[in-house]
Parts: sequence; structure tokens; C-alpha cells
Amino acid sequence: MGRARDLARYSATRLALAPLMLWLIASLVFLLLRVAPGDPVDAVLGSRAPAAAKAAMRARLGLDQSLLDQYLSYLNGLIHGDLGQALINQEPVRAIIGKTLPASLELSVIALVLAAVVGLSIGFSGIARPEGKIDLGGRLYGLGTYALPPFWVAMLVQLVFAVSLGWLPVGGRFPPSLLPPEGSGFFLLDSALQNNWTAFRGTVRHLILPAGTLALLLSGTFTTALRLNLRRTLRGDYVEAARSRGLSERQVILRHGLPNALLPVLTIAGITVASLIGGALLIEVTFSWPGIALRLQEAINQRDYPVVQGIVVVIAALVVLVSVAVDLLVASLDPRVRY
Amino acid sequence: MALALTITQMGCQAPPPTSRITVASAGRISSLDPAQASTLGATQLISALGDPLYRLKRDGSLEPRLAASAPVLSDGGRTVTVPLRTDVRFHDGTPFNAAAMAFSLRRFLEIGTLSYVVGDRIAAVEEADSHTLRLRLSRPSTSLQGLLTSINLTPISPTAYSNHQDRFLHDRFVGTGPYKLTRFSEHQQRLEPFAQYWGEAPRNNGLDLITLSNSTALYGALRSGEVDLLLSASIDEDQRHTLHERASAGELHESVGPAMEIGYITLLSNREPFQDPNLRRALAVSLNRSEISERVSYGLRRPLRALVPPSLAGGAMAQWPEHNPEQARKLLQAAGYCNGSTLRFPLTFRSNVPADKLLALTWQAQVQRDLSDCLVLDLDGVESTTIYRQLGEGAFKAVMLDWRGSYPDPEAYLTPLLSCTSVEGNICMEGEAAISGSFWSAPGLQTALLKSDTLTGDARRTALDRVDHLSADGAAYIPVWLDSPRAWAQLNLNPPRFDGSGQLMLAELERRQDGASKKGATNN
Repeated sequence: MGRARDLARYSATRLALAPLMLWLIASLVFLLLRVAPGDPVDAVLGSRAPAAAKAAMRARLGLDQSLLDQYLSYLNGLIHGDLGQALINQEPVRAIIGKTLPASLELSVIALVLAAVVGLSIGFSGIARPEGKIDLGGRLYGLGTYALPPFWVAMLVQLVFAVSLGWLPVGGRFPPSLLPPEGSGFFLLDSALQNNWTAFRGTVRHLILPAGTLALLLSGTFTTALRLNLRRTLRGDYVEAARSRGLSERQVILRHGLPNALLPVLTIAGITVASLIGGALLIEVTFSWPGIALRLQEAINQRDYPVVQGIVVVIAALVVLVSVAVDLLVASLDPRVRY
Repeated sequence: MALALTITQMGCQAPPPTSRITVASAGRISSLDPAQASTLGATQLISALGDPLYRLKRDGSLEPRLAASAPVLSDGGRTVTVPLRTDVRFHDGTPFNAAAMAFSLRRFLEIGTLSYVVGDRIAAVEEADSHTLRLRLSRPSTSLQGLLTSINLTPISPTAYSNHQDRFLHDRFVGTGPYKLTRFSEHQQRLEPFAQYWGEAPRNNGLDLITLSNSTALYGALRSGEVDLLLSASIDEDQRHTLHERASAGELHESVGPAMEIGYITLLSNREPFQDPNLRRALAVSLNRSEISERVSYGLRRPLRALVPPSLAGGAMAQWPEHNPEQARKLLQAAGYCNGSTLRFPLTFRSNVPADKLLALTWQAQVQRDLSDCLVLDLDGVESTTIYRQLGEGAFKAVMLDWRGSYPDPEAYLTPLLSCTSVEGNICMEGEAAISGSFWSAPGLQTALLKSDTLTGDARRTALDRVDHLSADGAAYIPVWLDSPRAWAQLNLNPPRFDGSGQLMLAELERRQDGASKKGATNN
């Protein structure tokens, strides 16, 4: 009962701190963008536009107001869920995020699942004979994939499988000759729900290279984490106790070792998925994947303040939410965690 | 991955050729509004969805499109009358007439981000009758004819844009062109033939346009056969060269449009050290353009010693002096350098434009080889948005840029670089020359510039020559090279063609039904 109360208090504290973190991030982004060189009005109208047109646009966008007024207006919009409009084409930022976030989430989730399956399998496979050949291979795999430069791997994969062999599309998210499925923006889900298997195949074909590359790069983290944690866990007193009770090594590993070794991996997975949403930029750029990271990069280049602010705040919110959720999950699963 | 590959490959081999064509280019299209569109991708798309009043042919002559015949000048060149076609409809069924054309022009003048290209030339837009447009000019302007070919003046349906008369409409386009837009996203567009098109019907069943975010993806998409045609100025030099070589070997079609983009270096002429015109002239002759062209672009970007592309009437290739390191040394010595004293200055290039960096490195190496005791270039890469923002503030002593005129006329190149409304000596205090970062002008330059736009024929050529000579002597700009739009197509398409304005004629693209591959070649 006491533990449940402690957990509830811990959860409430973590959730209460989340808005504070978001406010700090939102404020920081607002200030950094104003300090960065480059004028958004020039980005929209061009530096040769008449001064009157520039002044009119500056007034319309509220850029003629004091920094404090702009900041308060921005915060007010944020509180009311209004992320503003893109400067370049006046498209609501919410709509931009609504279009690009599903693309990034789809890529990230598939990549994460692949990375977890591959990484954990490799990490687990060497445990029967520590320091054996398989274990050594897993160790090298973990270190190697972690050290690989993402842009280099992505380009190599693209050149081999798409350009040279022509097995898979070079880039994009969907075959240009087909109409993308309408719905949630998650093409795999939408096309499956609509029984549109041509679209489904097209989506899978476009997903394989970016998701596979991302998974390859991430899987080493899982391999290393599981390998180290499993070895540490299997040296624990309670594992020795299980062995002394006559349980087979297979039972010891599966019942006592693996569940405990997977808890830290869960934390790693949480952090990874959160950072993936905004951090897959190199993969999105290389494979022309129309996700939120690619859109963020374009918005930064164009000095499109509302789009940059909106995307960063949404990514930050997701990171905060996922990390809080993972913390709470770990806290509830692991009785050793103290709050 | 192997399992997924197997599943997706099953029954999913390359689809049989259809007469739809897939075209790839670089860069997201954020706006389809002709009053705002400025990127090559957007103007290319609008050129397929709409028609301008006139089109520039490759021989430099005007071909009436929505105009019924050539414009008629009267009132000493201050009135331009344009008879319009009577058999044209917009994609939404609205008839095209003088009112529709006037609506589009007034809207552009009111909200167009590129309205500065028209400047104060058009005083009034009138409808003389239902199918005759009349433009009242504030001054006679020869370049107006070129302006009427501009994609930005493409007419739009007054019905479809009635709620967007004073604001942009970014994700739709309702014009009169051979295609109508049936799907638009920033990375992918679908075009279908317009059944009621007044002109020749497209030779394909529609277009799928995709944008890819980097040069390798574009190159790979063409090479793997994923796209039928690659249209881009954003291909890295090595890949552009490879595609050119493959076309020369007959493995692809390559088409080269008219060279409309100039690459140049701007020198800040109102501050030290480049206040001294002899130093600017020294830099102008220190540059070996042919070597730069070969090293950077394998000769695909042609060396240029003028501000106006030679494909335009009044354009030239060689007004600036040739590479001459000895003369550069003499000029630098006269300015007090080379005798134990070196002129060191920062050369800024756009860090997000790979060709700029290569150019900067090559020039730096040339100077090190020829004039190491006189000149030192410190390279400074700055992202292009920042450069354009700070250019007019005089932030860069020497900066590499490029320019593509908004319409095919020398005036669209000279005015944006040289025009000046307030001059003090050789310094432009206010005007385009200041915005361009050179702050340079010369006595008589503005008058010569304005006069050139009132003349025609040989008289105009002579006036433009004078402007070019003055600019070459001032050397505040150093032209470096000339770039042409290029398109590469698979062999199962007919060779693509560009019009005189550098737009690829997408409606002419046709898949060869016999399936036979015709040996590729380069078309100019």
C-alpha cells in the first residue's frame, strides 16, 4: 500500500514537472531563433521586395512588436494549442506536424522493433558460452554498429540496394504512380485497414531501406545493453540460489536472468524512441523521407519561426512524455527502484 | 530485411511501362501561387499547369500562347495592347478573357513577392474589350515583352481565386495549361491531361512529379530506372558529369536548356580594401575561369566574362578581361602590395552549395600558385539564408553568388545588380546595387541602364554594351560561369526539350510505345 502511494506521488511529481520542462524548452527555442541571423520576412518575400511590403508583412506577422510581446503572444497561443502558421505558405503548423509526424513515427517504430528484435537476439545468443565465438561476435556487432557513421551507412545502403541492385526505391515514402491511402497518415496501417495491398507493398518497399538502416544503427545498443546486463544478472545471488534449487540453466536464464536484464533495456528503448522522433534527420535526408526531422531542417533553413518552434515543442513534448512513461513503467516493474 | 524483400518483391516486379511519366527534381514545393513561386521546381510545375501570354522560343523570338498575336505598342511605347485568344478555358471551366488576365496581373502587382521585377513600369492594367488587354506604362520599356513571358504572370481563374484575391493560394493551381493538378503535396504532385485544353494535347497520360532531398537520391532514382526523367540544377558536379558521360555514350537522353544562370563574385566597393578599383580589377584578372570550369564542373558550366547570358539579345560572353596573373601582379604592386605585403581578404561562399565551395577552393589554389606573395584568400562558408540577409548590410568583402533573371531579358540581369536610386560618386547609397552587396555605381551608369530599356535592335545592343563596359571597368562584380538547366531521360522516352526561358516542355514527353530504345544523345 505504501509503495503504491509512493509510486502515485512519484508519478504526480514527474507529470507536474513536464509542463515546466516544456516551457523552458519553448522559451529557449523562441530566444535562440531570434538571436540567429536571417530575417524571416526576407525568407518569404526576398531581400529585394519593396520596403513597404516588408513592413506590412512584418506587422501582419507581429514581428514589429517588442520581443516580450512576441513571446507572450507565442506562449498564449501555445497554451491554447495554437502553434501558429508557417511564414512561407501560411499553412497551420498543426497541419504540418499532422502530416509529417506520422511519417517519422512509422519509420521510428518499425526501426525500433527491428532493432530490438535483431539487437536482443544477438545479445542473447552468446550467453550460453560467455567469451565464446558467438559472444565475441555479438560484442563486436554491438560496438561496430554503434560506431558506424549514420550518413555513411545510409548512403552505402542506398547505393548498393537501390542504385546498383535496383531492388528497392532510392527514396520517398510511397510509389509516385499510386495514390497514398487516406486516413491517419500511417500508411502501413491505413493501407492494411483499407485492404489496399498494393499500397501496403509499396509502403513496405519504401520503408525497408530507411527503417533497416536505422535499425542496424540502433541494434548494437540493444545488443550491448542486454549482453552486459544479462551477464551481471547471472552473477547475482538470487540466480545462484535458483541454480542451487536445481533449476536448469535454460530456466535460470529465462525466468530469473532475462526479465531482470531487460529492465535497463526498457529504459534504453524509451530514450531511443524519444530521440528517434527528432533525431533521424540524416536518415530522412538521405532517403528523402518526408518526416518531421526533414521538415524541421527545411524550416530552419527558411527561418520559418512558427514551424521550427512548433516542431521543437512537439518533439520535446513527446520526449518528455515517453521518458516519463518509461520511468513510471520501470518504477512499477522493478521493486528495487526508490523514489 | 531479406524476408521483407522477398515479400515485397513477390508479384511486385517493375510495373509495365505506362504512358504516365515520373519526373524527379530537388526541393520541396511550398507554394504553387504564381505570385509567390520562385523556385525552379515551382515555376516548372506552373509552366505545365498554366500558359503565359507569350513563350520565348529557342531562337529568341516570341511565340504567342494565350495572346493571339504579338503585342502592339502605341503612344510612344507607353501603351501595350495584347490581343487574347478567345478559345481558352481555365481548368474550372471559367472562360479566359481580358478580365481574367487583368485580375491575374493586378493580383500579382498587389501581392506578388516578385512584383519588384515589374517595378513601377506598369501604371495601369485595363480591359480594352472582352479579349484585349491594355497596359499603360509609366515609361517605355523594351524588356516588357520579355516580362510577358514570365511564369509568374501566368493567368489564374478569377473564380477559383475569388477568395484569394489579396492573399496567396499555395496548394492549388487553376490555370489554363495542358495539365490540371489532381493531387498536391510538397513532395509529390499528380498531373492529369486537361481534356478541354485549347492547344496540342499532352503526349502522355499524365505526370507524377516527385522531389527528392539530395543529389545522390536523384541520381540513383534515374540510374535505377525508378524515375523516367530527372530535372534538376541541384545535382552535384560529379554526378552531373557522370550523367553527361552516360548520355554521350548513348545510355540516356540529355537535354540542355538555354544558359540563364550566372555565377559571380561580388566585391564590397564602399569599404577597404576594395574601395580601390585597381584591387578589384586585379582580382578580376587573377581568376582563371577556364580552369575553374574544368576543375569544378568538368566544363559543364561555361566560363563567363559578362553579366548578361549570351543567349539573350544583347548578351555577351566576354566583356571582362581574361585571366592575366602578370597584370594582376602589376595592379597589386601599384596598390602597394607584393613587396613584402600581401592583401589578405575573406572570400565568403554559400556552405550549402557544393559548387561554390569547389570554386572558392580552386580560386584560392590559383592565387596561391600565381600570386602567393601578393594575395591570400581566407575561405569562409556561410549558410545562404544568412548571406542573403546580411548582403545589403555590407557584411561581406567578397562573396560568391548566382543569379537567374525572372524573365528572359538583359534588363532582368543588369537592373538587379546595377540599378541605383541614390549615388554619391562611385558609391550606391540606395538601390539594387546596395541590396546586392557591391554598393557600386558609376557616373552615367543609371542613365545608360534606363536608356537601354527604351531602345530596340542595334541601338539597344550598343547601350547594353556600354553598361557592360562600365561594369567591367568598375569590376565590383566578377562573372565566373554560366549554367544551363539540364534534364536526363531514360531511352524509352523521346528526348526532352526546353523552351527559350529554360522551362522543360513536359507536355511533349512521350514514352516510345514500341518499347525500343533509341540511342541517347545530348540536345542543346
